[in-house]
Amino acid sequence: MAAVVLAPSSFSDGTEAIALVVLLTEFAMMRASLSRSQVRLYSFQSLAVSALAVFVAATQHVGDLYVLAGLSFVLKVVVVPRIVLRLLRDSRVDLATSHRLGVATMVLLAIVVAAFGFFVVGGLPVHSPSLPAPALGLAGAVILVSFLLVILRSDVVSQAVGFFSLENGVSLASLVLAAGLPLIVEVAFLFDLLVAVVVFGVLIRVHHGRSQTLSTDALDRLRG
Amino acid sequence: MVAVELAPAEIQVLQVLTILVLSPLVSGWIAHLEARLQGRRGPRILQPYYDLAKLFRKETLIPEDAGWVFVAGPMVAFTCYLIVPLLIPVLTTFPLPLFRTGDILGGGFILALAGFSVALAAAETGGPYAQLGSSRAMTFGALIEPSILFVTFTVALVTTTDLPYFEAAAARSSLSQAIRPAHLLIAVAFFLVVLNDTGRIPVESHASTLEFGMIDEARTLEHSGPLFALLKWGSAMKQMILYVLLINVFVAPWGLAGSTASGSVLLAILALVGKAFGVGAVFAVIDNSFSKLRLFKITEFMAAAFLLAILAVLVLYVGGG
Repeated sequence: MAAVVLAPSSFSDGTEAIALVVLLTEFAMMRASLSRSQVRLYSFQSLAVSALAVFVAATQHVGDLYVLAGLSFVLKVVVVPRIVLRLLRDSRVDLATSHRLGVATMVLLAIVVAAFGFFVVGGLPVHSPSLPAPALGLAGAVILVSFLLVILRSDVVSQAVGFFSLENGVSLASLVLAAGLPLIVEVAFLFDLLVAVVVFGVLIRVHHGRSQTLSTDALDRLRG
Repeated sequence: MVAVELAPAEIQVLQVLTILVLSPLVSGWIAHLEARLQGRRGPRILQPYYDLAKLFRKETLIPEDAGWVFVAGPMVAFTCYLIVPLLIPVLTTFPLPLFRTGDILGGGFILALAGFSVALAAAETGGPYAQLGSSRAMTFGALIEPSILFVTFTVALVTTTDLPYFEAAAARSSLSQAIRPAHLLIAVAFFLVVLNDTGRIPVESHASTLEFGMIDEARTLEHSGPLFALLKWGSAMKQMILYVLLINVFVAPWGLAGSTASGSVLLAILALVGKAFGVGAVFAVIDNSFSKLRLFKITEFMAAAFLLAILAVLVLYVGGG
């Protein structure tokens, strides 16, 4: 039999699988044509990040992380998507045909960007036997792809969801890199997110109220 | 049961026969199940055999301007589909004598030759729909190619060969090999490739009679009689070959014969039919729950397959994956 390149250990295996799910949902958000499904995907992605927090807490024995997992579950899986979905229901705009490029082109571009993030982060001189390097690279890719989501989709919901999932990418990286990162720092991240939700909520409301659309191409109509 | 030891070469012949004989059964099963899911009674599971028998008795009509390519195309394709089962793990976990004559890429080339000869035969007719079909099939075939290549790269990175037997053995060797991210990713990517290559929704609707949406199906419109039977049988065999690759290399490489005893080989055949029926059921459900993509949206589907395959290579490259 030929030599087989062995699969990694169970800890890095698990983190890596979850990080991969997070990245794939990021791509799915980029392709999604309904704003609603984008928000649901974000909720699913947050669920994956919360699951990762639980997984890391259980395998690395960091009790604080359970609190963080609970908090991020309540906020990012339940509250934030609910608020955004509600805003969407009020604005009665369903289909966000806001792709600046064709979907296939966007995905190819995102693959390039993700690969870039992957190798840049992989090339960082951060080495430790307990560090799952691929998961860290995946977190880098998630962050860059969410930037691309914000850039390439021209509707307010995509921008909001892109920003929120950026936060998911950051917490993914922090979970992988420093599981013991003090709880207070991570809670500060979540607080940031809440501020962003308020800001984007106001933006969606005002923008839709003034211009009857969620497209950012009409943002210049917001001038007083 | 009397334990008779089969020679490896005999098993290899048996692999070809398994694909040859059982492929219409799998097609019939899928058609039957699809009809059932739509609330119709549907054709008998054995219907494809009756269709083939009928077609072989019919006369062959050759379009006026068509030359020998029209006749040779289906035969070449059929021969190609007979060769591929020699190279892939259909029944056994252990490699059979001829397995080194072609790797995954070799098998892919032979399948591509089959597709090419069918397309050539279709183009030879001068019929507009057949030509439309062959040009589309070639175009989309080229677009799905990168995904297949990256699946092969992943197999090569994992097993340091690109022989399908070794990827299956790697997946069998331990659970963590079977569920490692790279393996799961290429399994899903290959699943999407199979969806595309067997002409299933969301790429192409299988049972449609509307020519404008056709890709693979349109190529055979001008053929009749035994030649058409060869094409139909060939496409059933191609479908079965792809299912076998999907099952025995990526998704469920268990239940194959570990020895040359006739009993275990027989069990492997039964297990294969069961697994192929299972995969067929998944495809039938997908057929019934999604709508066909618009022709120019098919590239999105292919981009998704490519994404999965390339991510598999990336996670492997950076660290074990």
